[in-house]
Amino acid sequence: MNGPLAPSVMAGRPLLDIADVSVTFGNTRVLKNVSFQIMPGEIVGIAGESGSGKSTICRAAMGLLPSTAEVTGEVCFDDQALQGLGEAEWMKLRGRDMAMIFQNPASHLNPLQKVGKQIAQPMIRHLGLSGSEARERAVKLLEDVGIREPAMRAKSYPHELSGGMKQRVMIAAAISCAPRLLIADEPTTALDVTVQAKILELLKDLNRQRGLAIALISHDLGVLADICSRIIVMRHGQIVEQGEAGQIIDAPQHPYTRLLVDSQPGRKQFKAGWAQTEETPLLQVEGLRVLFPAKRDIVDIFRNRKAMPFAALDGVDLAVSAGETVGIVGESGSGKSTLARTIIRQNRAASGTVKLGGRPIERLAGRELLELRRRVQMVFQNPYDSLNPRMTALETIAEPIWRHGMADRREALNQASKLLDMVELPAALGERKPRQLSGGQCQRVGIARALALQPQVLIADEITSALDVTTQAQILELLARLRRERALTLIYISHDLSVVSSFCQRVYVFRSGRIVEQGAAAKVLTNPQEAYTQELVASLHRLPGHVVERENIER
Amino acid sequence: MSIEAVPASDPIKQAAVVLPWSIVVAGSIVGLWIILALFAPVVAPYDPTAVDIANALKAPSVAHWFGTDQVGRDVLSRVIHGARIDLLMCLAGVLPPLLIGTTVGLLSGYYGGTVDTLLMRLYDLTAAFPFFVLVLAIVGVLGPGLLNFFIALAVVGWVTYARLVRAEVMAIRDSEYVQAAQCLGYSDRVVLLRHVLPNAFGPVVAYAVSDAVLVMLAGASFGFLGMGAQPPLAEWGVMISDGSRYIRQAWWICTFPGLAAISLGLGLAFLGDGLGQLRRGQVSA
Repeated sequence: MNGPLAPSVMAGRPLLDIADVSVTFGNTRVLKNVSFQIMPGEIVGIAGESGSGKSTICRAAMGLLPSTAEVTGEVCFDDQALQGLGEAEWMKLRGRDMAMIFQNPASHLNPLQKVGKQIAQPMIRHLGLSGSEARERAVKLLEDVGIREPAMRAKSYPHELSGGMKQRVMIAAAISCAPRLLIADEPTTALDVTVQAKILELLKDLNRQRGLAIALISHDLGVLADICSRIIVMRHGQIVEQGEAGQIIDAPQHPYTRLLVDSQPGRKQFKAGWAQTEETPLLQVEGLRVLFPAKRDIVDIFRNRKAMPFAALDGVDLAVSAGETVGIVGESGSGKSTLARTIIRQNRAASGTVKLGGRPIERLAGRELLELRRRVQMVFQNPYDSLNPRMTALETIAEPIWRHGMADRREALNQASKLLDMVELPAALGERKPRQLSGGQCQRVGIARALALQPQVLIADEITSALDVTTQAQILELLARLRRERALTLIYISHDLSVVSSFCQRVYVFRSGRIVEQGAAAKVLTNPQEAYTQELVASLHRLPGHVVERENIER
Repeated sequence: MSIEAVPASDPIKQAAVVLPWSIVVAGSIVGLWIILALFAPVVAPYDPTAVDIANALKAPSVAHWFGTDQVGRDVLSRVIHGARIDLLMCLAGVLPPLLIGTTVGLLSGYYGGTVDTLLMRLYDLTAAFPFFVLVLAIVGVLGPGLLNFFIALAVVGWVTYARLVRAEVMAIRDSEYVQAAQCLGYSDRVVLLRHVLPNAFGPVVAYAVSDAVLVMLAGASFGFLGMGAQPPLAEWGVMISDGSRYIRQAWWICTFPGLAAISLGLGLAFLGDGLGQLRRGQVSA
């Protein structure tokens, strides 16, 4: 990857000049005196967690805030003050000189229009091209953003394209009128890592070839460090620090920036509680195949056509020793969640077997099944969806204890408050319902509930993927402590290879329902053997500098 | 972007839910009728069945606020006592289909499969007939009377509840907290009653209140047609039907029970609407 652009382009007048901008919604001030500049041809990163105001400032610059927002301060684009512009003047500017791309391309493309037409529209509007001319250019643009067979793809509808291709289409539409500034709001967050790397590469090329200035908003410092020359760090609606990318990463001045840098996946090793691998594995998966029936429509039924089932897992073998932490990595659709669901008996295996302590789990019933439930527990992905919205945190944690007859209801509540304490939640939060808790807090409640039955094996399925990086680091630290204190066997499922390799002893890499590579985490990360793993590793946006080695995270 | 931003707003602020005005107004109308019905013998100035031929067909006056009917019964007292019957009718007309429909919807939504498919076809079949026509046909077969009317309502009404609950349950079935409950080894009964049903019940309550309007109107109409409540029962529909013969000489006999039916009907309708709004608001909050 190329280094950030040389600061030489920074000479001259700023392209976008934001001076002392504050934004107020009702009584809430979401932006406080934000000032920064973007030079022509520069890539500036805006980092911050959700709620930090990083999207708001960019919407303010584009004049896209709702009318209920009160904006003070000055925004200048190319020496033109943007306050008080009428809607007609904004329309001349937006899409022409300033363009924006968003996190979820699927929701910003019109599902009823062919993508070629959608790319052509701004050119017809702003450049006065005729329909056929614009469509021709659209095809050319699709080629520029790296879409193969652009003429054919221009005739596709959005649902016929993958997530990465949709984002490319969005970019093609955004750059169609050769804008001078592109605001990219988390453009790669919803995409798989290998796709993310390609989109970032594309943005870098556009910057280099067309001199396009880019404001890249991301929660991922690794991404920003990779392609930005300057980084602005925001928190609670304020800029806490801005400077050269290298300086922000290597010598952060503000404590929050330091926390953010330290929280990046892969910066810290969580080795606490790694156990020695034993000879006899606790959990064995042998030749596991899981099939999902394909949908048969009514014509198929009448013609007596057999639907081809879809193999979510296809011949998977793995083994986990007691006390070990094993990572499962793969992109969406690779079958990693299916594996978890099969181990907790939510799916049936078509063939192959899962053994716990040498006994197959498939045919367990009654008491023995309850025994399995006590030994294997799971923490789920979506912090809000995984808790019953009508139960308080304490009730949620206490329920498994008394339902399994391990204590009466009052004693269960006592134990639940101890568990609450164990996952580092203040006792006062026990009376709250999920919607009154933050995502990180919900996830802690989910962990406490899973641990209430004192399981041996804990499966964590993407438990931090919906959380901010600093929260993610805290949850990982908590899990590392718990696995040491409780001698837990952990199966940690994630799409993020850097998280998995910093947290797990061994890693299995999944692709399309098969294991493509396995081995010690450090080895897979530093010396991947398979082409797919190499691609995964190459697409990681790790911060420069060495991984901070810590033998044990003691608290 | 993460979900972390959502609860950043103050939890205390979320707790204070602003009631839409429609709920307040509609709630007080319905509440007033319920109080009147409960205390009917105390509130009503006269015995609703006391015949007083000497005072028949008297216009509204200080003694008889709503006037008297063709046999001298006090219309006000009859309207107040009628509220008892009409409200009970709402309850008896709504509860059985609600219970049957919720149970069926819960099971068929959660387990799915062939039974679910068959039940849904049964729904389509029932929904293909107009509500009144089907109820009328069933009452016609069973014979007139309140009990048969309620049986007909249950036979026709449960499918809507079943459909409503089933749709909710199918969404909730795949949520992670239900998966977690299954994974924790809870029995199906616990998962269904403790984790699925409470979260699927909101729209049912909102619909049940609107359904009560339909039942009340049906009850009054059937009383009017002589297929439901039978005279001399002080039921609003029956009263309107009775009074309609004297509408030229004594407009008050059928007007007041009519107004009573309209006010209770509107009250229930707005209440159901408001509850639905409140629920949707809570979901998006």
